[in-house]
Formats: sequence, C-alpha cells, structure tokens
Amino acid sequence: MSLVNYATREITCKIVYYGPGRSGKTTNLHYIYGQVPGDRKGQMVSLATQTDRTLFFDFLPIDLGTISGFSTRFQLYTVPGQIYYATTRKLVLQGADGVVFVADSQSRQLQENIESFQDLHSNLAEHGVDARAVPLVIQYNKQDLPADMVMGVSDLDEQLNFRGVPSFGADALHGPGVFETLRAISELVLRRLSSGGNR
Amino acid sequence: MQLQVAADWVEAPLKAFVDEARAEVAVLMHPSGQVLGQFGFVRSVDVVTACALAAAIHASSGELGRLVEGKPFAGMHYAGPTKQIFLAPVEIADGTLLLLTVFDEESSLGLVQLFFKEFAARVAKVAPEFKSAEAALAVDFEGELNKNLALMFGRG
Repeated sequence: MSLVNYATREITCKIVYYGPGRSGKTTNLHYIYGQVPGDRKGQMVSLATQTDRTLFFDFLPIDLGTISGFSTRFQLYTVPGQIYYATTRKLVLQGADGVVFVADSQSRQLQENIESFQDLHSNLAEHGVDARAVPLVIQYNKQDLPADMVMGVSDLDEQLNFRGVPSFGADALHGPGVFETLRAISELVLRRLSSGGNR
Repeated sequence: MQLQVAADWVEAPLKAFVDEARAEVAVLMHPSGQVLGQFGFVRSVDVVTACALAAAIHASSGELGRLVEGKPFAGMHYAGPTKQIFLAPVEIADGTLLLLTVFDEESSLGLVQLFFKEFAARVAKVAPEFKSAEAALAVDFEGELNKNLALMFGRG
C-alpha cells in the first residue's frame, strides 16, 4: 500500500526483491546502498544468519527526491530465498507496491526459479492480491558467468516471463542491470499512482 | 521533539498518548511498515527502519502465536537495561494498525498499557477507511524520475 500524504506532499512505496536462495537479492540492495549518496539513503538493515544468508529480510530506505511535487521515498526489502523460510517470505511481501523477481541465470537453477516464481504468485494470492495487477520486473542475475553455465535472457523469458513484464539481464555484484531494474520497477509503481490505481 | 504525522487524524490521539503515558517515542504504523505518525525520532530514516523492524516483529510474533496458541499474541513487551518497548495492534474498521512505543524509567509497562487502551479506542473512532489514492503524480513523471535516479547513481 503506497502511502500518499497530500498535506505534506510525500509518497512512500514498498518494493520487495523476491527470488530463490542465492539469486542475488541482497547483492542488489548492497550495490544500490553503495551507489546512493549518504543523504539519500537510510541505514541498511540485514537480519541475516551468521553466514550472511538472509534470515528475515534486508531493508534499505532510499529517497528518490521530488517527483511531480511529491517527496518520494522507496523502502526496498528482500525476502529470504530458502524454501524453509516460506512464512517469512509471505510476511515480508505484505503490502508490497511492486516486486522485483531476481532469478539466477544458471541453467541448473531453472527449476528453483520456476518454483520461487510460483511461490510468489501463491503468496500474493494468499494476501488477496491479484498477481497480474502488481507491478513486477524480472531480473536475470549472474549473466556475467561463463556462457555455458547460464541461460540467455530470451530463453529465461520464455520459461518465466509469461506476463511479458520488463526483464533485464544483470550482474548485481558489479552493477550492470541493477539500476535498470530499479528504474523499471520505480516507473511501474509510480505509474500506478499517476493513474490513481493505488491498492 | 516534534510530532510528525503523515495522516492528520493520527495527531491528537498520538499526542495524548505520549503525554499521558510519558512515552519517549511512539509510532503508529500500517502492518506493512508504513509510518502514519510518530513522536520522538529525530531522523526520518530512523523512523522507517524502526517501523520495518517493528512490523517484522509483529508479523513473526503473530505467526508464532498462531502456532503455539492458535491466535496471534495481543502485544509484545521487551525490557532493555534503560529502555523498554511495547508493540501492540490497534484494531480499526478497515483492519489493523500497530503502535510501537519506547519508554524509560519515567513511565512503566502498566502505565503504557493503560493509556494504550485509551489510545486504541480513540484511533478506532477517528481512523478513516483506507481508500485508493487519487491520481497523485503527473502523467509525465518519468522525466523527473529518470533524472533523480540517474543523479543518485552518479549518472547525471
């Protein structure tokens, strides 16, 4: 649920990075955190295990500045990707205004991607949300790995992107594709607000 | 300290609660972590982080309550060496909100719980139905968005 305050001209939106374990969701947030100037970001909070696997979520608030006269803030969350954190994923997804699905481009991870994508749709449905109506962007991460290990963007699109949503190849560790993904989901979420389609 | 509200109807109940319960910090939020009004935080980024964490505590303790007791816990209390927090749901016509409050030795859990009940009743009376936002942004907002993002990422 985007929060729009007409009196103070402020908009706050929640974006959730979703996907299978080790696909690079936290890496996306780390890269964004490293790029955004200090006065435009809050503290990055990671509720992680001792081995740095996301236990509950990562959280990064960023300030997009003024858009159409509204001070616009995004709260970026990741979910834990491991299968046994299903309940936690559902909780973090609550109230999401937009979702970035981070897929692992490695051929051997295809089934995990498909299962996680189905899990996303199932959790949205459990929240009473029509998955087709939620702004969604797909990122195919780890495209920097050797070509014989990864699937190309068009092949992955064929397997996962049946809705034809914006999709991007990425190397979240080094940056390519991270900005484009964030820009695309920001645009989709804000476009809903420009048409009054919030909630 | 200043009272900061995102929704006007939050202001009076929150101010009354802070005064009466002698709380140090109080935040009313949506269960998704969105701030509706706060008192006590100096930096707005600290508020959103606190709300994200509080929403997570509430969500996970609710699930834990369902697991062990068949229903969510009504509220949570943690006591630190000098400060304590109390987190509890506030039922309104359109769902549930959360109040997170921090207090020290100037107050007590009993006092906070006592005035929380009054706060919850006040909020339930004045909370409007959440509705779809009217078209908030201009149709051609993309130019500003792209410019702001490019500046943030050093591409401006």
